Amino acid sequence: MMTQPTRRAALGCALALVAAPALAQDGWPSGPLHVYVGFPAGSSPDVLARIITEPLAERLGQPVVIENKPGAGGVIGVQQMLANADDDDLTFGTTINGPLTTAARMMGDTGYDVGADIAPVTLIATSPLVLAVAEGSGIEDLQGFVDAAAAGDQALAYGSVGQGSGAHLTAELFADEAGVSMLHIPFTSYAEVTTSIIGGEIDAGFMAPSAAAPQVEAGSMKMLGITSAEPFAQAPDVPVIAGQAGLPEDFRAELWNGLIAPAGTDAAVIERLNTEVTEILADPAVQEQLLAIGWQAAPGTADAMAERIEADTAMWGGVIDRIEAQ
Amino acid sequence: MSTWDGLLTGLSFALQPGVLIYCVLGVMLGTFVGVLPGIGAMAAISLLLPITYYISAEAALIMLAGVYYGAQYGGAVASILLRLPGTPQSAVTALDGYPMARSGRAGVALFAAMASSFVGSMLGILVLVLLAGWLSRAATAFGAADYAAMMVLGLVAASTIGSERPAKGFAMIALGMLLGCIGTDVNSGTMRFTFGRTELLDGVNLVALAMGLFGVAEVIGNVRDPDRQGVAERIGLRQMAPRREDLRRMPLPMLRGASLGSFFGALPGTGSTLSSFLSYALERRVARQPERFGHGAIEGVSGPEAANNSAAITAFVPTLTLGIPGDPIMALMLGALVIHGVQPGPMMLEARPEMFWGLVASFGIGNLLLLVLNLPLIGIWVSMLRIPFRLLYPAILIFVCLGVYSVRGLTFDIVAVAGIGLAGYLLALARFSPALLLLGFVLGPLIETNLRRALLISRGDPMVFLERPISAGFVLAIAALLLLSAWQALRRRR
Amino acid sequence: MQRDWPDILGGFALAACGAAAAGWAWLHYDLGSIRQMGAGAFPVALGLLLTVLGLIVALPALRRSGTLPRAEPWAACAVLASVLTFGLGLRVLGLVAATALAVLIASLPAPQRGWGWRLALAACVTGLTVLVFRLGLQMSLPLWPRLG
Repeated sequence: MMTQPTRRAALGCALALVAAPALAQDGWPSGPLHVYVGFPAGSSPDVLARIITEPLAERLGQPVVIENKPGAGGVIGVQQMLANADDDDLTFGTTINGPLTTAARMMGDTGYDVGADIAPVTLIATSPLVLAVAEGSGIEDLQGFVDAAAAGDQALAYGSVGQGSGAHLTAELFADEAGVSMLHIPFTSYAEVTTSIIGGEIDAGFMAPSAAAPQVEAGSMKMLGITSAEPFAQAPDVPVIAGQAGLPEDFRAELWNGLIAPAGTDAAVIERLNTEVTEILADPAVQEQLLAIGWQAAPGTADAMAERIEADTAMWGGVIDRIEAQ
Repeated sequence: MSTWDGLLTGLSFALQPGVLIYCVLGVMLGTFVGVLPGIGAMAAISLLLPITYYISAEAALIMLAGVYYGAQYGGAVASILLRLPGTPQSAVTALDGYPMARSGRAGVALFAAMASSFVGSMLGILVLVLLAGWLSRAATAFGAADYAAMMVLGLVAASTIGSERPAKGFAMIALGMLLGCIGTDVNSGTMRFTFGRTELLDGVNLVALAMGLFGVAEVIGNVRDPDRQGVAERIGLRQMAPRREDLRRMPLPMLRGASLGSFFGALPGTGSTLSSFLSYALERRVARQPERFGHGAIEGVSGPEAANNSAAITAFVPTLTLGIPGDPIMALMLGALVIHGVQPGPMMLEARPEMFWGLVASFGIGNLLLLVLNLPLIGIWVSMLRIPFRLLYPAILIFVCLGVYSVRGLTFDIVAVAGIGLAGYLLALARFSPALLLLGFVLGPLIETNLRRALLISRGDPMVFLERPISAGFVLAIAALLLLSAWQALRRRR
Repeated sequence: MQRDWPDILGGFALAACGAAAAGWAWLHYDLGSIRQMGAGAFPVALGLLLTVLGLIVALPALRRSGTLPRAEPWAACAVLASVLTFGLGLRVLGLVAATALAVLIASLPAPQRGWGWRLALAACVTGLTVLVFRLGLQMSLPLWPRLG
């Protein structure tokens, strides 16, 4: 997905900078930081948060408490961050893209306005998805997949981890670009999707590389393509989808995970955190830990994250429009 | 590596002091959190996760697994003594365990639960070692239609539990299934019955439901009960020890329960709950005097406890052989492995045999430890009943609240417990079975998703339920069961 | 004749719940088709089923005698108020104050006079709670009231 600077995001950030009192926060952090995570302990977003906050606590000289508030695809974590925020600038959150981009569209009302209530700090990491099919499916490559899908209306059935999930929207984006129509079967976890593909009940699924890789190694599944712009370190042999089988050169769909703060958090604090996290992510050991759970470190400025939110909201909003129109 | 060599390798690995200590730590913490109402293995494993970064992947897995099956032992204690089940499985144990405790046989009930848990686990290990390959193939062969048919069979089989009138039992199942509809619909993403509350998007909190229906309702009913005010008489060793008749009644239910548990446990999803309920229903059906059930029948403790513990062991089959976690707690454990750079998956058995066999050996060691640890504790648990109820129940309420809060850290869930508790108290007054409500609540959403998924995959052809051999088998069993019930009802009337 | 009130009231209450749920689902959610069942199909079916089952429980009970269970409205109020106090107070009052208050409220209906044991109990349970949940299980809970 292309990220294009938008005037509104840039303006919002500029205003935030102007409004911030110049380094009123010499004593920051004055106490332990609380980082809200909208997923249960041990889940991939939670482990990511722990990998980042452990060195962060060391650098800041204050403990960082992870508050797991799982539910509603991460939306509850963001809500709880906002509800528990004091004005001492010690409350933050990490979240995947969903609660900041598609949640408002899917749920109608999330209880917060991303533009007005959330201050992006930095993007932490991105994760592409791979298109996986069963080993014995007879489909050899992406072209073969598109051909099989084009054989009839909804000739192929694919699994996702839920209505409106990244896996679902990515598959619909793919189908739209490839000019085919596939039958969507929603599941609740990649574990279920994997079982169903291996059992031959459904044909395919866009999955996290870490979920598909072990099955590929064991010879029960194969990966036909990956949604990132470049090959992914965890699955280096899998070709990128962009430019293949008639798909556009700029085909790109990634999940991401970022650090956020409640709007109104001191700009100097956000700046400081951005610098710290960027430095933490430059550590090869941290990058390797992230890669092990399927995330590729991708730090950037707070502005860049704001732009990414805006661009993705627009792009996935378009996909949802097309799904709803069907 | 042959099975025998594997087991020896595993034993010598798991008995190393540096590994054994984590097994001990795991099962002890598991028992402890299991006893605390509502705090399940999930909370304890989350607590231990940071420690796992500093120990080997094998030791980490052994410790977390210890918490997982250790919590099953502990869960029985709170359900038997105080009717505080934190999971649907322990709700089944409470059906007869709690009446036993109320009639002064708490020690026997706890003994039956511990012994059956141990036997169930051991049989589960045997099945895991001998049939893991077959079970994992069975697990992938199960499709949406098969799951739907299996769950319906479970509901039909269990519907006779705990109510003298079938219509009341079915009504509770229907109510449970209806409550299970609350939240985001998996298939369409529609938010059902949430009334704008984000906290309801993932449905009603299961622990809050179990705690409200059983724990809070029971507390209300007993606050002013004159029987529970005085200091209970000291229970002698003789009353605590099982009678010969008790011992005679236990082995067969244990075996039947363990068989059900070992099979259903290996299917990803809700094998443990389903097998507990099925085991209870089976014992009631084969018993000479089914009317004893619900009033302290030892078979009603023994069978389901063996079932849920063997299921807790064979639940590792898909996790270990396919790298596919069967429930969220398994997923959490796999997450811990991934942090260590171990890629769980079908290749793990070959790539790291010491991990697989070490874990299997640790199951044996851990369960033995649990038995040795828990049997002497029975006396202490039972003596807790000598505390006057007026001193006990305020603490119970606080523990229930915090147990519910521990699941996802939302005070909304505590408030929900108050409402569910009121409903549970009214249902108890009218003699409706809360256990069946819980079963409907757990199985309902699974039946709905799998049924709709099956029809979606078959492109709308309902014959799919008869065309798939597994599903057809379950449909036949359902028909047979219904005919049998009808025939029995007719014969009784005559 | 003493009627079988539990079955009559329970049955009708369940039937009402079922009808309400079915009605709400009928109005608000899509029913779909056999191939693609909508979100409303199951709730409507279950609601209707519950209505029928509730009536099956209630109607025969109208012509049957039964016993009336002894209700404890006072105990129910105190217990529920205690749970609510704890739930609503936890974030604001902190663990210590919320626990002590909830224990005091819960102990009100206990058939033993005097305030001494109640206060002592509140102190004990509060200590135990802090020890087990805050220190032992490391749950993230505020101990003291939130100032400001």
